[in-house]
Amino acid sequence: MKFLCVSCDEAMKLTGTRPPDRGSLTVVYRCPSCAHEFAMLTNPSETQVVGSLGVKIGEESAGTEGASKCPFSDVVQEMSAGPQDASAEFPWSTEAASRLANIPEFARPMAKSGIEKFARDQGLAQVDVKVLDGAKDFFGM
Amino acid sequence: MKGYYDVVEDGGSAVLEQVEAQQERVDQGLAGVRNVLAVGSGKGGVGKSTMTMQLACALRERGNSVSILDADLNGPSQARLGAVQDGILVPSESGAQVPTTRSGIGVVSMGTLYPEPRAIEFASVASGSSHTWRATREFTVLRELLAGMSWGTLDYLLVDLPPGVERIVQFAELLGETALFVLIAIPSDLARGIVARSIDALERTPNRTLGYIENMDGYYCSDCETVKPLYPAQSQVKLDLPCLGSVPFDPELAALCDRGGSLEDAPRLVSREPVGQIADEICRLVSECSAFAKERA
Repeated sequence: MKFLCVSCDEAMKLTGTRPPDRGSLTVVYRCPSCAHEFAMLTNPSETQVVGSLGVKIGEESAGTEGASKCPFSDVVQEMSAGPQDASAEFPWSTEAASRLANIPEFARPMAKSGIEKFARDQGLAQVDVKVLDGAKDFFGM
Repeated sequence: MKGYYDVVEDGGSAVLEQVEAQQERVDQGLAGVRNVLAVGSGKGGVGKSTMTMQLACALRERGNSVSILDADLNGPSQARLGAVQDGILVPSESGAQVPTTRSGIGVVSMGTLYPEPRAIEFASVASGSSHTWRATREFTVLRELLAGMSWGTLDYLLVDLPPGVERIVQFAELLGETALFVLIAIPSDLARGIVARSIDALERTPNRTLGYIENMDGYYCSDCETVKPLYPAQSQVKLDLPCLGSVPFDPELAALCDRGGSLEDAPRLVSREPVGQIADEICRLVSECSAFAKERA
């Protein structure tokens, strides 16, 4: 979608977004000529349609409530809840975390919980590159 | 007053560019894949998934590096067929490592990410209106899987398609015009009528369809060791495509799949030989396509 300031015949520019509120996204536009501002307020269905494309509107990811973008978040919570205090923060080294950032965003929580379970099973207290390489060998990849 | 096409940018979000960038990441992710082979039908229940895994096994036995993308997000079968339900995603420098079967076939399936018996539920801020956005979300997930997995160097990436004639066209767009298609039919007018629609749909794309496989062409009776008819009469629906081969229904294969065993555990399946011949024919056709593409270039 593009927006035009009818008075100035100029394309409006996006100047900011507000955090999503109950599925509604607020996007503010300004005319570069007359500085007139207006806000586009989406309903949840509109937010979700755009969000389903996996794109960002301004600085905000459309289609989310600011939480995980994983479409399967309920199962991730179940998978994370293990018997050995699995909900506790498990440290990842910077390099291991940067590898995690390379994989599809929706799959990160599953990968994270799987690797952390593997590390716990091995009696390790942190995930680093050695653990990732070890998991790769362990699972025959 | 200016119109849509007079305004160059979309105001700041560049949504179209973001979608194009996603497609570029798919192309980069598949840079090491020599052949993308989509296995579809249009009809459900004709054995697309088992045939996909059988073809993968046959291609692998012939020395090819092979992976499978289970594109049926909501009815994933490949994790079970490859016995990788308990696999995990291991992050690497070039994406997530692809879980592999014992014989080294890569399998990416929601069946690994999302344990049975839970139905996949996409989180949404618009509950009750999933019919308006669900297909878009699914294709975004598939794009992310294609772009974000570390596929490595592959001779074949087999894509196990979900049912639906119109979706075949959407997959042709997603996978690009070099993706090749194989359709699965069974000897029933009902199923072949739908496969005929898929052929018609694919003719409107630039993609090449190598042919169709006649699956469940009779069933194998282990008592008398013969193949007996499964359907009463020859189908009257003609398919305007070369038949790559026929494969009988094998109750042993069905039982194996239900047990959750890997196809690699059953080297004496009656379908092994015909599927091997089909794999040979696919390799021959693919090499023809490559030669043609080189000539054109």
